[in-house]
Amino acid sequence: MNAFLKTMAVTAVAATALLGATSAQADGERYVLVSHAPDSDSWWNTIKNGLALAGEQMGVTVEYRNPPTGDLADMARIIEQAAASGPDGIITTLADPDVLSGPIRAAVDSGIDVIIINSGTPEQAREVGALMYVGQPEYDAGYAAGLRAAGDGVSSFLCVNHYISSPSSTERCQGFADGLGVDLGNQMIDSGQDPSEIQNRVMAYLNANPDTDAVLTLGPTSADPTILALEQMGLAGDIYFGTFDLGDNIVQAIRDGVIQWGIDQQPYLQAYLPVVVMTNYHRFGVLPGNNINSGPGFVTADGLEMVEQFAGEYR
Amino acid sequence: MTAFDHDPIVEMKDIEKHFGPVIALNGVSFDVRPGECHCLLGDNGAGKSTFIKTMSGVHKPTKGEILFEGKRMDFASPRDAMEAGIATVYQDLAMIPLMSVTRNFWMGREPVRRVGPIKFMDFKTANEVTMEEMRKMGINLRSPDQAVGTLSGGERQTVAIARAVYFGAKVLILDEPTSALGVRQTANVLATIDKVRKTGIGIVFITHNVRHALAVGDRFTVLNRGKTLGTAQRGQITPEELQDLMAGGQELVALEGSLGGTV
Amino acid sequence: MSDAGQGAGAVPAKDERVKEISGLRKALIRPELGAIVGTIAVFIFFFAFAADSGMFNAQGILNWSTVSAQFMIIAVGACMLMIAGEFDLSVGSMIGFAGMSIALVSVTLQWPVWIAILLTFALCIAIGALNGFIVVRTGLPSFIVTLAFLFILRGFTIFFPQLIERQTIIGGIDDAAEGDWLAPVFGGKVGGWIFDWLGSIGAIGVFERGTRAGEPIVDGIPMLIIWALALVAVAHVILTRTQFGNWVFAAGGDAQAARYVGVPVNRVKILMFMFTAFCACVFATCQVMEFGSAGADRGLLKEFEAIIAVVIGGALLTGGYGSVIGAALGALIFGVVQQGLFFAGVESSLFRVFLGVILLFAVILNTYIRRIITGER
Repeated sequence: MNAFLKTMAVTAVAATALLGATSAQADGERYVLVSHAPDSDSWWNTIKNGLALAGEQMGVTVEYRNPPTGDLADMARIIEQAAASGPDGIITTLADPDVLSGPIRAAVDSGIDVIIINSGTPEQAREVGALMYVGQPEYDAGYAAGLRAAGDGVSSFLCVNHYISSPSSTERCQGFADGLGVDLGNQMIDSGQDPSEIQNRVMAYLNANPDTDAVLTLGPTSADPTILALEQMGLAGDIYFGTFDLGDNIVQAIRDGVIQWGIDQQPYLQAYLPVVVMTNYHRFGVLPGNNINSGPGFVTADGLEMVEQFAGEYR
Repeated sequence: MTAFDHDPIVEMKDIEKHFGPVIALNGVSFDVRPGECHCLLGDNGAGKSTFIKTMSGVHKPTKGEILFEGKRMDFASPRDAMEAGIATVYQDLAMIPLMSVTRNFWMGREPVRRVGPIKFMDFKTANEVTMEEMRKMGINLRSPDQAVGTLSGGERQTVAIARAVYFGAKVLILDEPTSALGVRQTANVLATIDKVRKTGIGIVFITHNVRHALAVGDRFTVLNRGKTLGTAQRGQITPEELQDLMAGGQELVALEGSLGGTV
Repeated sequence: MSDAGQGAGAVPAKDERVKEISGLRKALIRPELGAIVGTIAVFIFFFAFAADSGMFNAQGILNWSTVSAQFMIIAVGACMLMIAGEFDLSVGSMIGFAGMSIALVSVTLQWPVWIAILLTFALCIAIGALNGFIVVRTGLPSFIVTLAFLFILRGFTIFFPQLIERQTIIGGIDDAAEGDWLAPVFGGKVGGWIFDWLGSIGAIGVFERGTRAGEPIVDGIPMLIIWALALVAVAHVILTRTQFGNWVFAAGGDAQAARYVGVPVNRVKILMFMFTAFCACVFATCQVMEFGSAGADRGLLKEFEAIIAVVIGGALLTGGYGSVIGAALGALIFGVVQQGLFFAGVESSLFRVFLGVILLFAVILNTYIRRIITGER
């Protein structure tokens, strides 16, 4: 038992030290960013970096919160809790308005300013009483990409959906299909999150449907294994390949000509701008008069240098 | 001996039990009378386990008949045998170490107080009876809430025996109750057997330890290779003879000589 | 034998001395001791580090108690089942499945919400019974059988709404539940007048703006919390005070020994699987009624969270030993730590580190306590 108590004491001290280190308070305003992403989603790293940088530059305290498993009901609790801790503002996504609008509206009504980022639409943001919306409307982005692909002569495609349980993922695929002017039908597959499973499912689909013109992936999670799948099948550079979002491998693949374009919603801006906007609003009462579309920006082989330098960090 | 004034409670006649081509029991006859301790001896593999499982309703005999209080019985399950009054205390005791003595004692036959559809366990009665029954067997429990796991091996045996006795066993089958115990605890268990016998319950005491058998047994039946080698009464047989019978031959005599009679 | 001295002959003399300390010992050494110590430690910790962060204002208390109540509901089921000697890994998937079932019946089929709820309960309990039936019939480890159902149920939860509605989140349940008699039993709030009063005297915060300006921020106790407390109370009484409770311990302690003495072990186990499914369904219904939508990803990993709460609460993973109160406290610790770390301003990715540390300590402490109680060696 003695050894046991000792271990416990040591850990308590260590935990205390940890706590002291991470809860260092800055003097200024305090903003909490709540995302819907599970811990495993590396794409949100750019958001974290943007948030941290904005906090540093503006001299405000920023915190990043997310539901560990990506369960939106847990996310609702986190928003409620963020509101209970009395910050100056909350920056959050609106991944499912049914679940999240209640807690967000309650936060707004209790006097906390809210900016909606990333998921959701400008209309939904206005409905919950948010100051503004910063992000890329998913359906519109998919639609724009579909129009572009249609112009390049695409008439059938495979949408590799790695987070099918989120409605925004389906909107991307649906928008793309509508942009092409074809029915989505069974052209969207639930790929799961595991890289080798994704790779094999893509190969299986393309083997079964050899006349597929294009592949659309919804982010690095599905794009990276899809690149491998295409290389293995000898289709890399041959099949039309577009993706949402950016990452190291995607940038490399654009350079190599495997991927025609990446839709960059510029997540960095989604974290950075709200902090800047809110700080200025709280300090000087100034607020932009409109929503901010952080994307879609199409990234192609031209002008990759900057993207490449900061991919996964700020891009 | 008083035991012989009574008819047997259980009488097993020419029991045979085959498992496919294997003949586990090949004509075993055995009986037990009220108030006696009938020891069933045999080496490992002699068929003791099969025999008691037949007696307690786990196995059905291939041939032969079982008479219970003079009437022919066919036990379909251990539950039937238990309800008729044949209780078996297995080597592993059928006790749950994590549970309290009271919970174990009453397991499956809890005293209940009904409140609407819910059957509450009457812990007051249960605890009192448990303490009382254990006291009768010479064990003062610290508390009826004590987990069985905190009891010694001998005490656990005693709880199992007390439980069987309390729930109206007429015949108590004890499967190697002393095999894993130290000297002192063995003595306690043997004393318990003696107490139970005096209440008029017939005891079948399975063991391969001749000294333990001779300490409490009224009669001794030796089983070897699925057959009974005969039954002897107390005083008619020496430990050496019993040992020889169990070994089923003379080879042990030689061995025993070289070991100085310690087997 | 080292304890041969405790034989019958030696006991009476020794007994008096043993009895004297047994009172104190008995009061202290109980299955839930570890969880009680943990709860006190956790609250002291957060009082020290997060007292002024809003964690202990009305809104903050409601927040962590709601999260804890969620854990409690599934922990109660998992606890009873674990004591009966089995696991259910399909709890998380069952939560998603139940929510989706309510959504599809009430929104897509347009049936009354109360029918959707009752149908879903019947369906979930039937699936629980099937789980249990397969386990007792085949003798396979429940770990494997319910792992299969983890995938099967999650698969259906994604497949059906995709097939029928072409989306994986179905909303509009709050509109359908308007005026329904059963929905408030899960999604409603009670005691609103108390909070109105507390708000009016300024004891708790009120909304500053919007349509609800002037109303208290906390406007009632969610039914979720009432369900959690009721389930804990009922399960605790059944487990410790009834004949059936004794059978649950017996079935998990040693199924064969229990069968010898006539305990209907299979029936007990199947009933416990059904109870676990019931708890998962209560969780799902409360969630769906509160948020008004069902999503295919609801309840992910909740089975492990339930099991962790139960283990923190002192139950033995192999069955036959445990406490519902302990499991409830385990759920409280889990909820308070999960939410409290955010209040204390700890980087959220460190949550898992804390969780792991707490789990490890709880198991070590509980093992030590259990050895004292049960004489395990």
